Amino acid sequence: MIVNTKWLEQYTEIPYSPEELEEKLTYLGLESTIKKNPAEKINGVIISEITEIFPHPNADRLCICRVDTGINTMDVVCGAPNVKVGQKVPLVKIGTTLPNGMTLKPVKIRGVQSEGMLCAEDELGLSDDHGGIMVLDNEAPVGMELKDYLAGSGTSIDIDLTPNRPDCTSHIGVARDITLLTGKELKIPEIEFTESDESVRDYIDVEIINEIGCPRYAARVVRGVRVGPSPKWLVDFLGSVGVRSINNVVDAANFVLLETGHPLHTFDYRMINGNKIIVRSAKDGEEVETIDGVRRELIKDVLLICDAERPVAVAGIMGLANSEINEDTTDILIESAYFDPATIRKGSKYLGLQTDASYRFERGADPEGVIYALNRLSDLIVQLAGGAVCKGIVDCYPRIVKPREIIVRFKRVNSLLGVDIQQDWIVEKFEKLGCKILDRDSGSVRVEAPSWRPDLEREIDMIEEVVRIYGMHNVPNAKVMRIQPNYETTHDYELVEKLRELIANFGLYEMCSNSLVNQVFTEFGPQTLSPVKVKNPLSQDMSHLRTTLIPGLLQTAKRNLNHQNPDLPLFEIGFVQHYNPQKETHAEEFQKFAILLAGFFEEKYWGYERRKADVFILKGILERIANRFGISKIDFKLEKHKQFDQIISTEVDGRQLAYLGRISQKYLQNDWDIEIPVFVLEGDVSTLIHLSSQSRQYVELPVFPSIQRDISILVDTNIKVADVERLIVGKGGKYLQELRFYDLYKGKNIDKGQKSVTFNLVFRAEERTLKDAEVEDTMAAVHKTLLKELGAKLR
Amino acid sequence: MNLLERTNEVRSQLKEDLSKVQNTFQSIEDFRLKYIGKKGLIPSLFRDFSALCATEKREIGKILNILKKDAEKAVQNIQDRFADSQSGEDEFDYTLPGVPFNRGHLHPVTQTMNRICDIFKEMGFGIEFGPEVETDFYNFQALNFPDNHPARDMQDTFFIEDDILLRTHTSPVQIRTMLKQKPPIRILAPGRVFRNEAINSRSYCVFHQVEGLYVDENVTFGELKVTIEVFAKKFFGKDVKLRFRPSYFPFTEPSAEVDISCIICGGKGCRLCKHTGWLEIMGCGMVHPNVLNTCGIDSEKYSGYAFGMGPDRITLLKYGINDIRLLFEGDIRFLRQF
Ligand SMILES: [Zn+2]
Repeated sequence: MIVNTKWLEQYTEIPYSPEELEEKLTYLGLESTIKKNPAEKINGVIISEITEIFPHPNADRLCICRVDTGINTMDVVCGAPNVKVGQKVPLVKIGTTLPNGMTLKPVKIRGVQSEGMLCAEDELGLSDDHGGIMVLDNEAPVGMELKDYLAGSGTSIDIDLTPNRPDCTSHIGVARDITLLTGKELKIPEIEFTESDESVRDYIDVEIINEIGCPRYAARVVRGVRVGPSPKWLVDFLGSVGVRSINNVVDAANFVLLETGHPLHTFDYRMINGNKIIVRSAKDGEEVETIDGVRRELIKDVLLICDAERPVAVAGIMGLANSEINEDTTDILIESAYFDPATIRKGSKYLGLQTDASYRFERGADPEGVIYALNRLSDLIVQLAGGAVCKGIVDCYPRIVKPREIIVRFKRVNSLLGVDIQQDWIVEKFEKLGCKILDRDSGSVRVEAPSWRPDLEREIDMIEEVVRIYGMHNVPNAKVMRIQPNYETTHDYELVEKLRELIANFGLYEMCSNSLVNQVFTEFGPQTLSPVKVKNPLSQDMSHLRTTLIPGLLQTAKRNLNHQNPDLPLFEIGFVQHYNPQKETHAEEFQKFAILLAGFFEEKYWGYERRKADVFILKGILERIANRFGISKIDFKLEKHKQFDQIISTEVDGRQLAYLGRISQKYLQNDWDIEIPVFVLEGDVSTLIHLSSQSRQYVELPVFPSIQRDISILVDTNIKVADVERLIVGKGGKYLQELRFYDLYKGKNIDKGQKSVTFNLVFRAEERTLKDAEVEDTMAAVHKTLLKELGAKLR
Repeated sequence: MNLLERTNEVRSQLKEDLSKVQNTFQSIEDFRLKYIGKKGLIPSLFRDFSALCATEKREIGKILNILKKDAEKAVQNIQDRFADSQSGEDEFDYTLPGVPFNRGHLHPVTQTMNRICDIFKEMGFGIEFGPEVETDFYNFQALNFPDNHPARDMQDTFFIEDDILLRTHTSPVQIRTMLKQKPPIRILAPGRVFRNEAINSRSYCVFHQVEGLYVDENVTFGELKVTIEVFAKKFFGKDVKLRFRPSYFPFTEPSAEVDISCIICGGKGCRLCKHTGWLEIMGCGMVHPNVLNTCGIDSEKYSGYAFGMGPDRITLLKYGINDIRLLFEGDIRFLRQF
């Protein structure tokens, strides 16, 4: 909603500068921004008067205008069709730079020297009008800078209205809010026309079939008008709020809309068949052509205004082409109605059409403002276009919109806000708002809310009015902040945050990807469950909720690879959804943690060789996470999956915790156009939390020394380290405290098909110092078993 | 002298010689050869040891072994010390880079969310979560959004079914909490939310929200104000100025928007604050009585406040990031900066 200060001043005195007003309206809940006046940027353009016009000697289309600048006269070559002697026009002097960046230089046009330039509004950056040179009001003072002259037409302020304030979709409404601060009077324009002898009832009859959609419909008929251009004051007012002038009748209706906030519609009375207006629901499939020239198919949710034979307007939204006001219209039917907000909203949503009218009706117009707006428009039309208003109003009001009575307890106001506001102050402001004070006692006041404020329904709404007028900045901060005992733990939240920190500390970067993905992304991974589909997606690439985090990571990897950044340690923690009709929301949500590695895992360094991404980094991370979460044993199992070259699943106590692996190179090439190996892990956060144990017990430090032995053997390459370990543990005896695999070697000096594996064994007894000989015996037994079971050779 | 006495003798000699070894290659080598070289004192003790009978072996073996280890260790130490001293100041390049430990970071929005949660946790707020897929009831109806009301246009919605949708705010967590707990309730609800808006540098269809709720007896607007002020000063710095201006949200009344003085220009006006001097950081208000009543909480007995803010937007402001899409693209060059 744009308002203009000069226009607002028609209704109340404004003792504020535009900047003050901007701030005060904002503090009232009408978030305001001054619209910069484009004229401010214009320098060196002055108002001049055309005193003579000569034909150009060398060009039929051009003429030479002699203009008076108040100091001297100049000759200017001009090609505009609309120049006339006596016009006040802006003159651009030589050397002036226009807002479009053009600097005027002395120039000869077809052999005639031009001492300046007359220009159109678009050249001055004032509008996009290029229909001819800009012509100013006759009273414009010659010699004045144009920007100073234009500054007199008020400042425009853009108000970002919240949906609860339909009353402020108008200058009167905003002016009323200003009076709350100034205490000044609100002046509503008086109606001055006199009716003719002809009765409106001879011209029109109104029947409302859908009374829910249209509780009130009033009409007047004005006869004998002359449609023509609007006077300058009207064009300027409309222009100041961004509305273009069309003709005097349409402009008058727009003016009343912006003045009162009440949308009105004008019909060419000739086009109304059978002297009849019928308000009814559209039929499914019924077609109409609106005044924007679009044919629209309707459904029964749309409300129609019809004459005896056919629709003439889509109620509260837009008129139809068949009954529009034309240049030769002489008799006008004016509609002023109150339409049901939900009905208009449904219709407007269905048609995908929001207009100035529907914007106001769906927020709630003023049912009691119908008649004033009707009279105000009739008055203006008579003033601007002549004609006579038929006697009487057809006012069909089958469903009275009941006034709302509200009891406000003064104590409640102060206790909820934490203030101490005087009762009289409160009552005075309620009156200023337009409330009727019904009665009042020491503890409360009973008011009738004004009909233009549909948002005022109950006590809390009035309390909001109090605080916005009182000023939220005037409400003191409470002196005490209470904290109640709270026995709820935030345990799970803290564990998730701990997990996040932990993964980041391995050197991984957290990322955050879109939950909305292409359907193909939901088909990734070992666990394919049916995805949740969005009914109204932004695009096919965002049509489903993700079922796994991995494709999001892959997409990110791809993007980074395109930027030549192949070293990627990334992770994400987030929710995924699966379709499940058993659930209240038809979706089951799981929090997942996922990691992607590619390229080198470490930075280049002079002191060591850096490690490349591989499955064992992921395995190590998972093992370390499990350790930090108090999970002692994870079972790893080799799996097979077509999207993976290597995939390992992990279980804890029979529950699936995570899977990890190397993504199939073929799949990466075909589906992602990625050439380098990519390793991923995905696990379930709530399973991790469920399995976690916070009870760590201290183990007493050993008293007696330990004995360490290394064992290095050659075995066939297909033998698993875990199998060797199992055999060692089996023979290691009760003093074997630790067994650590630490070296794997293949290649030089080792036969093909063989590998060397090395373990470190730590022996210790709790109650005494072990003897070397005991350990030697055990080691001999271990060697023997490995030899027998695996055909191992000692190295 | 029997072997045991000789062993002890060698030990004390070793101790004495060790204190005399000079930090030269020759001196160290002499020491090594004297004790553990093939013809040294300790190997000669071992040679004699092998001639002993079993009982004597048991007695002396351990002592001899310890001596051998100590001698080896001593030689190692003086050799290391010598090696260290050889890399003199000329060769020691202290400008070599330190070990580049793998470092990872939390996403900047996570960092913002965590900071917000930490501050409110200090003020006694618990943390609650709710589903990202929600019903119309929790997301709109219970929050006093009437059907067919323009207030719903404030939040363009992705629908799954007619009455199932992707939550447009974390406010449904308020409802879920109030339905299961009795006042006093003091919670924070962080999470991911969705809006069906075209993606551009200022808006993304997925973002985050942190919402707070406090319901108790006699909760006032003044208490809301001070809570927000404490938060803002802790988060943005104690010189920051606040302004509350009336606004509209269906689930709070009175409702307010909170602006802070611009963190770049301090209020003088700059590009970030569009020359207003203020930055909008959150919406808040007193919980609407309809919302309390819907949740079975007597709005005459209890009142409350709620507030909600967007960590993504705050992150953009804090780091001067000019395009929200960067937060969701995972560009490693971007992520490494935080
Ligand atoms: Zn600024």
